[in-house]
Amino acid sequence: MNDTEIIEKARTLLGDKILEVSNPAVRRIFLKVDSKDLLKAVEVLKNDLGFAYVATISGLDSGESFEIIYHFGNAFSQLNLRTQVPKTDPHVESICPVIPGAILYERELQDMFGLVVDNIPDPRPLILPDGWPAGNYPLRKDWKYERPPEKIPGGKP
Amino acid sequence: MLQRIVRWSRKKSPWILHLNSGACNACDIEVVAALTPRFDVERLGVLLRATPRHADVIIATGPVTRQIKDRIIRIYEQTPDPKFVIAVGACAMSGCVYRGAYNIMGGLDQVIPVNIYVPGCPARPDAILDGVVKLLGTL
Repeated sequence: MNDTEIIEKARTLLGDKILEVSNPAVRRIFLKVDSKDLLKAVEVLKNDLGFAYVATISGLDSGESFEIIYHFGNAFSQLNLRTQVPKTDPHVESICPVIPGAILYERELQDMFGLVVDNIPDPRPLILPDGWPAGNYPLRKDWKYERPPEKIPGGKP
Repeated sequence: MLQRIVRWSRKKSPWILHLNSGACNACDIEVVAALTPRFDVERLGVLLRATPRHADVIIATGPVTRQIKDRIIRIYEQTPDPKFVIAVGACAMSGCVYRGAYNIMGGLDQVIPVNIYVPGCPARPDAILDGVVKLLGTL
């Protein structure tokens, strides 16, 4: 199964749910779907095309919207499934019903970007420290960190 | 008289606790290298303990992450008096490459009092030994 066959099969199975598709290099496929069709697309990718392995999920802050990129792999190819959500209403559907192991990445997305992952089985914070102030999302571009004044033991010389 | 014996024994055999507060592991390897046969501080009576309740000296590495801040204060409070802290490596002194990051405190002295600083990224075992000897010299 090569790249063109995978793309053809995805086109027939998903139809007009695919917004964009590109194949910039050998064994690399980019697909873009609407955030509403995400779960369906992941289901098709896993059950019909064998993309059962999620390497990671990355988030991207591109000004007005967040882009979420799901990095899939199967025996033949790497596939990046992209979706976009507006910053004013950052809701994305959880893919845990299809791929349970994705929960760690989704919890990390919630921590670092302030995205709301709907229907996530376990929404607790994952990587930010205990007592982290709510509403601070470090990987958002508009987030600024104010370093607290440094204590110098013994005073400055 | 008793005071002198206590001081002598403390100087002759400081028991240390090795504590990683979010270091990249390089300084920890150097601390372990100082303890193992090449440099062998055990011949000088320096003994690694597994718990802060037995230790006199805390040898701490790392820039102190926010997550470990409260734990490090608890470990410091569990150590019996008189206690001494050696900050090993550039991270434990000032934060080094992590300085200014949102998830670290930027140095051990922001959290607990520090007696001796050992610079280096990572600090060499000889430098760590020198730090321990300088600390014992102040007793």
